[in-house]
Amino acid sequence: MTTELVALFLGSSIRLAIPLFFAATGELVSERAGIVNMSVEGMMLTGAFGGAVGAALTGSPMLGLGCAVLLVLPVAILQSVLTNTLRANQIVTGIGINIMALGLTTLGYRAIFGARSREVIPGFDVWPLPYLGDLPLVGPLFQQIWMFYLVVIVIAIVGYVLAKTGWGIALRAAGDDPQAVVKSGAPLLGIRHAAILFTGVMSALGGAFLSIGDIHTFTEGMTNGAGYLAIVAVIFGSWKLWRTVAACLLFGAATALQFQLPAFGIQVPNALLIMMPYLLALVAVAGLAGRQAAPRALAQPQ
Amino acid sequence: MNATAKSTLIPRFQTYLPILLPIVAVAAALVVGMAVVVAMGVPLGQALSAFWRGAFGNAYAVSASINRAVVLALVGIGFIIASRAGLTNVGGEGQIAVGGIVATALCLMPGMQAMPVGLSFILPLAGATLAGGVWGGIAGLLRVRVGTNEVIATLLLSFIAVWLLYWSVQSENMLRQPMTSAATLPESLPIPATTQVPLLTGSYSSPVTLGLPLLVVVAVVAAVMLRRSLYGFALGAVGLNPVAASRAGVSVGLTLVSSLVIAGALGGLAGGLMLQGEQYSLKAGFSSGYGFDGLVVGLLARGSVTGVIAGALLFGFLRSGGISMEMAAGVPSALVNVLQGLIVLMIASAAYYLDRSSSR
Amino acid sequence: MHKTVSGRSEAVLPLLALRGIGKSFGAFEALRDIDVSFNAHQVHCLLGENGAGKSTLCNLVFGIHQPTAGTMELEGRAYRPAGPRDALAGGIAMVHQHFSLVNELPVTDNLLLGRRFGRIDRRAEGKRLQELASRYGLDIVPDALVGDLSVGQRQRVEIAKCLMSNPRVLILDEPTAVLLPDEISALLGVCRQVAASGCAVVMVTHKLAEIERVADRVTVLRRGRIAAYSDTPAADINRLVAAMIQRPQASGDAAIGARAIAARKPAVPFRPKQEAMQIDGVSIVDRLGIKRLDDITLTVGRGEIVGIAGVEGNGQSELGAMIGGLLRPTSGRWFASDQDLTHASPRRITAAGVGVVPEDRHAVAAISKLSLADNLYLNRMSRFTRFGLIDRGAQRRQAQDAMTKFDVRAPGPLVAFGSLSGGNQQKAVLGRELTTPGLKVLLAAQPTRGLDIGAIEAVYGLIRDAAEAGVGVLLISSELDELISVADRILVFYRGRIVGEHVARPENSHSIGALMSGQTA
Repeated sequence: MTTELVALFLGSSIRLAIPLFFAATGELVSERAGIVNMSVEGMMLTGAFGGAVGAALTGSPMLGLGCAVLLVLPVAILQSVLTNTLRANQIVTGIGINIMALGLTTLGYRAIFGARSREVIPGFDVWPLPYLGDLPLVGPLFQQIWMFYLVVIVIAIVGYVLAKTGWGIALRAAGDDPQAVVKSGAPLLGIRHAAILFTGVMSALGGAFLSIGDIHTFTEGMTNGAGYLAIVAVIFGSWKLWRTVAACLLFGAATALQFQLPAFGIQVPNALLIMMPYLLALVAVAGLAGRQAAPRALAQPQ
Repeated sequence: MNATAKSTLIPRFQTYLPILLPIVAVAAALVVGMAVVVAMGVPLGQALSAFWRGAFGNAYAVSASINRAVVLALVGIGFIIASRAGLTNVGGEGQIAVGGIVATALCLMPGMQAMPVGLSFILPLAGATLAGGVWGGIAGLLRVRVGTNEVIATLLLSFIAVWLLYWSVQSENMLRQPMTSAATLPESLPIPATTQVPLLTGSYSSPVTLGLPLLVVVAVVAAVMLRRSLYGFALGAVGLNPVAASRAGVSVGLTLVSSLVIAGALGGLAGGLMLQGEQYSLKAGFSSGYGFDGLVVGLLARGSVTGVIAGALLFGFLRSGGISMEMAAGVPSALVNVLQGLIVLMIASAAYYLDRSSSR
Repeated sequence: MHKTVSGRSEAVLPLLALRGIGKSFGAFEALRDIDVSFNAHQVHCLLGENGAGKSTLCNLVFGIHQPTAGTMELEGRAYRPAGPRDALAGGIAMVHQHFSLVNELPVTDNLLLGRRFGRIDRRAEGKRLQELASRYGLDIVPDALVGDLSVGQRQRVEIAKCLMSNPRVLILDEPTAVLLPDEISALLGVCRQVAASGCAVVMVTHKLAEIERVADRVTVLRRGRIAAYSDTPAADINRLVAAMIQRPQASGDAAIGARAIAARKPAVPFRPKQEAMQIDGVSIVDRLGIKRLDDITLTVGRGEIVGIAGVEGNGQSELGAMIGGLLRPTSGRWFASDQDLTHASPRRITAAGVGVVPEDRHAVAAISKLSLADNLYLNRMSRFTRFGLIDRGAQRRQAQDAMTKFDVRAPGPLVAFGSLSGGNQQKAVLGRELTTPGLKVLLAAQPTRGLDIGAIEAVYGLIRDAAEAGVGVLLISSELDELISVADRILVFYRGRIVGEHVARPENSHSIGALMSGQTA
């Protein structure tokens, strides 16, 4: 019985971590290039909204996914122009975009669906892999929505590009010493624009997962801090890809505990469990010497 | 290099730019807002009149807007004080929440209502202020001791505080009122009358509280402090160049932490005022929206206390009008969020060029 | 035969020609009427003082800035780079003063930056590096992190990076500023090699010794214009130097100033009666475990000027930071005015009568965006406070007096500090530190860096006056001539240790120079 519960716990942890996997990987790329996107929260929310609306209007979750990405692209472009071209304060513009995204998605949802929240939308179903899905302990690992496998592939690709290609070198250099990149003739602005767009697309996918992958509904402000958690995961992971992924899993597990602990018979106030990821994140940023591992030119207006 | 730059004659336009910019941003946002209302199919006239009634309609509406503005102004002043030292405090909502929790707890303490000479409402307010100060101070300490980015720290603390608030009204072990039936709402008991902040006019039809004169005092002290005091000078020096400030004898760590303590304390005070001046019992989510509103007011003000007051009044009335618009005309108050976001983005876009031209 | 714009006859088409080039930054004219050409197989030196416009010229050629007037021609065709990428594509490479290397990446990655974008093969790159290294005599370790390398090694990496793109023109901006004497020889050798292989080598410098050793051609820049040129630099050296430092009316003043300073030097070595500052066995180990200061023991007497000589990077910065209170020694102690200041805050250090003029005035001594008046009293605003509030009127009036006293030229005390010229900024900082209440010790680190002759003389005068009034002065400088003319005795720093001491006399220059480069005894 306990192995079943543990397996369930693992599966839930992964499921809850998937949006973070997407968003944190995307944000990691931006931060390695020297940019902090506080707007990940807003982009995820926009993605969730886009996915929900697209799926509801077309009946196809796949089209919903496409709609999510399309809707986030202008937001990412906006953030990129503000940061790279207008050299505005990255923190302030990120928060501004978040506020605006909250407002626009709420308005949009009300306008399209009326004030009825919890409208059920066509979404993705779990896609259990044939033999692997039936394994005793790790079975639930392979009973995820297909987007899980997508994000694993994307993470592997990002890892490869960062470590083994010239673009990876240029990206990392952009975050440590942007002037060196310029002097070396590499396109600094182009790299940073591309990084932010990548973050946008990944955030869109992560947010869409929430609405059409996991819950099959959209609620106003449904990301509820997930975007900020993604940023914290990057810090927790000392800006290294694998550690960031591990941090996301940890946060997912913390949220999974909400449902697991009662099953173990342990009564903990719900609020405390909901608080857990943020508390963990705070401990993370308080305890580590993460700042020394940060890209040297992070968040500087160059 | 001996050749010095010839000083350029600054056109009059450029000196007024810092004041023009927020005005233009707000005006543009309002225009966009009206366009959205029209696009939603709501008759503009109906929406605007609902807005007007909600904001200025009667003495009650105006008082509610002013009370709201007081809360926002306190958070905004805290924001610009921390901002002078180079720190961005985005934890306003959490600091309000913590202030509210402690204020309620103190108000409900046996013996508090019997305290003499107004201490019955002053002590809980003081407690709320202290709590907010501690909440801000945690982020400050993290910044100074470990180097944690204060945006992340104040944000995380804000989330934690909001969930703490939720917990405190959900759990009977904490502040939840005794559950007499399944329908008992998750709130605290109402606070005793003597712990409520007195109204200026004494009448509930225009419920402006003592918070207003309190804000005026805080604003004056803050303005003088920022412009003419040694501490204000230290704040500015640290914000511009911490290394040089340190060499000049300023204790950078103390300055950074104290600025966040002050910002948090003002947020806590705002929360206490909300509780004791308006809400009268602790409910989950009471601080919702005030954090962002206060943040935007702080950003709009670009460092000036008068700017904060102006912005707070603007947003206070905007929110009241927005709520009324939602109830009477069906325009979701989320529209105000859209306008806020627009204002923040417009000001942030221009800020870089503004700063460059003003440092000539 | 080709005629260049300046009228000189050329036997070959210049590789790179600049005609009538001008560059202004707003109202400030950095360059004007520049006509110069660079030929293959030649080392062409651009000579000039700090601020003459040499770096600006290089940045124009490399595409970092665009000229506001004039044209450039590369191999006869119009050349208008919009950025470094165009320059690199055109075959122009630059070894920057502040290297274009990323400290956090290894050497191979740095070499690949900007050149390769797809899949990379680090091992193949390492091999290419070895080939290049042996061809030009560069000595490099491919896998080391650039941040761990010494300055000289980093420069070699930077040069290798440039050479990998097979440039036709190689620009070096002040390459010897951070090198030891034998590293300098090696570098000049590399320059000759590169020129011999067909490149046009352009070297920017203000050090005359190098001109003599390597230049085929010299162009002198002064105040943004061409002041002189020569195709036979070794023979014309005096004319070139005169063109570099000549001020129209002030040649007399310079001579008088120099003589006055020389005259104030006593014939017998100065023996102070009391000590103003003692440093006792101080060592500083940095975060990476490298010993930056190694068992430093020295004293500065009252009224004495002690010079610290050495190439930058041998511990002088750490010493300055320690005395400024920004760095704590790992072991050892130091005292001033009979107080143990080892763990003192900057405030306590100032209260003990120690004035500090740090080497980086922009970052440490002043806050550019604050006013001149604010900066003049940055560390003692409390003298204007009544009831906790600052009396701005009194501050302004006293600032005006200070401006007159220290000859700080500015439109008024309320202008932004950053808008003052380098010389006036330095005079303001020096004035502030010299008026520290109860001043007993003054530390001046690289005080004349980037200053013109007038300001330099003023600074020397102020330092000498302070010493005469009984202040103990510790003068850190990488210009040996400066130390010889101002200090009483000179201690030499090498790799964080004091390796020798000499009386500050011209006849000791050679020995001091030898100590500076690490030669013992």
